[in-house]
Amino acid sequence: MKLSKALLGAVMIGIAVHAASSC
Amino acid sequence: MKQGMPVIYSSVACNLDADMLAACLPLLEESRIDALEWSFDALYREKEVPGWFRDLLTAFGNEHRLIGHGIFFSLFSGRWLEGQQEWLQQLRRVCRDFTFSHITEHFGFMTGKDFHHGAPLGIPYTPTTLKIGRDRLKRIYDACRCPVGLENLAFSASIEEVKRHGVFLEQLLEPVNGFIILDLHNLYCQLHNFGMAFDELIALYPLHRVREIHISGGSWDDSLADPGRTVRRDTHDHAVPSEVFRLLENALGRCPHIKYVVLEQLGVGLQTAAARKTFYDDFLQMQEIVKGNCRPQTTADLVNTFLPGSILLPETRVEDETLYQQQLELSRILETAATHDEAIGALQRSSLAHSSWQIESWEPYMVETAIKIAQKWKLSSANA
Repeated sequence: MKLSKALLGAVMIGIAVHAASSC
Repeated sequence: MKQGMPVIYSSVACNLDADMLAACLPLLEESRIDALEWSFDALYREKEVPGWFRDLLTAFGNEHRLIGHGIFFSLFSGRWLEGQQEWLQQLRRVCRDFTFSHITEHFGFMTGKDFHHGAPLGIPYTPTTLKIGRDRLKRIYDACRCPVGLENLAFSASIEEVKRHGVFLEQLLEPVNGFIILDLHNLYCQLHNFGMAFDELIALYPLHRVREIHISGGSWDDSLADPGRTVRRDTHDHAVPSEVFRLLENALGRCPHIKYVVLEQLGVGLQTAAARKTFYDDFLQMQEIVKGNCRPQTTADLVNTFLPGSILLPETRVEDETLYQQQLELSRILETAATHDEAIGALQRSSLAHSSWQIESWEPYMVETAIKIAQKWKLSSANA
């Protein structure tokens, strides 16, 4: 399924922040 | 049906786990993932769901490509638990927030006193457990108002239990017109641990009820109870073995109502770049097999929506205190036994002896495995 670039960008940032906060 | 739309969705299990999400990201960027499976009840660890994750779930839900997979409900607990009531309330809430195409849970009951830390174990197949299971499935449907399904169990203690599992699933699901998640790694565990042939075992399952297939990896245990024997365990922490891909190739064509094929792997197995690359490759291999088995839908195809007719929800929940006490007794024995011999001795002196549990037919090497599973979960509970 194709996601919008805005959502993909938000997911990328979210993953990085989530990874940093759970490390 | 839209032209070019796949009949079977290649999907991933995706939770709020940094390693799991990082492994999924390249697939999301390449628009390869057709649907997401989310374990909505794993949220108990999180204070709140971040907006970006909600947006991701919403995007898939809006396209009817979001499926929910519960972990902790403990379908066959003999006593109705406060945690089960809370679980149903949470399910109602998430179903208001997101559009799920269906909701699934695991077969069995959970060991342990902590609702969120237990291992799923099998139950005796009796009229009592059938009544309890049917009651719980109706309550799940009442909360989610979409198709409800159950995953076949990975752990069995005897070959008799393995052979009867499919028929019992059919009896259980029939009143809610429910469906089966055929977990092929679970099946692989049974095939290896009991020396069965795929054709023999798959023939015992109601494949017309399969709407979803899982593939995943696992691990090997060396048995002390039966030296030289290895036991296959459904630990979800490694790549998908080639045998499971072969099972997928063999199973897909036998399941007329299959709609989702899901790749599962825990975040703990996705912490390195190499593991994430293997996950990516596994998804591509799965997708290729799925595409090879997609066939155009014709008007002659009878589509099972897996929605029930009208459901009458009894006010009184079905319970069985004897079963509940036996479940507690079994959990305690498995969580405290130092060896499989000690556990077998305790079981022979317990209320489970000479009962519908048929502990006399349990394989010692599987009792040994049950101890490892129960004690692993108990340890994780102590560290939580």
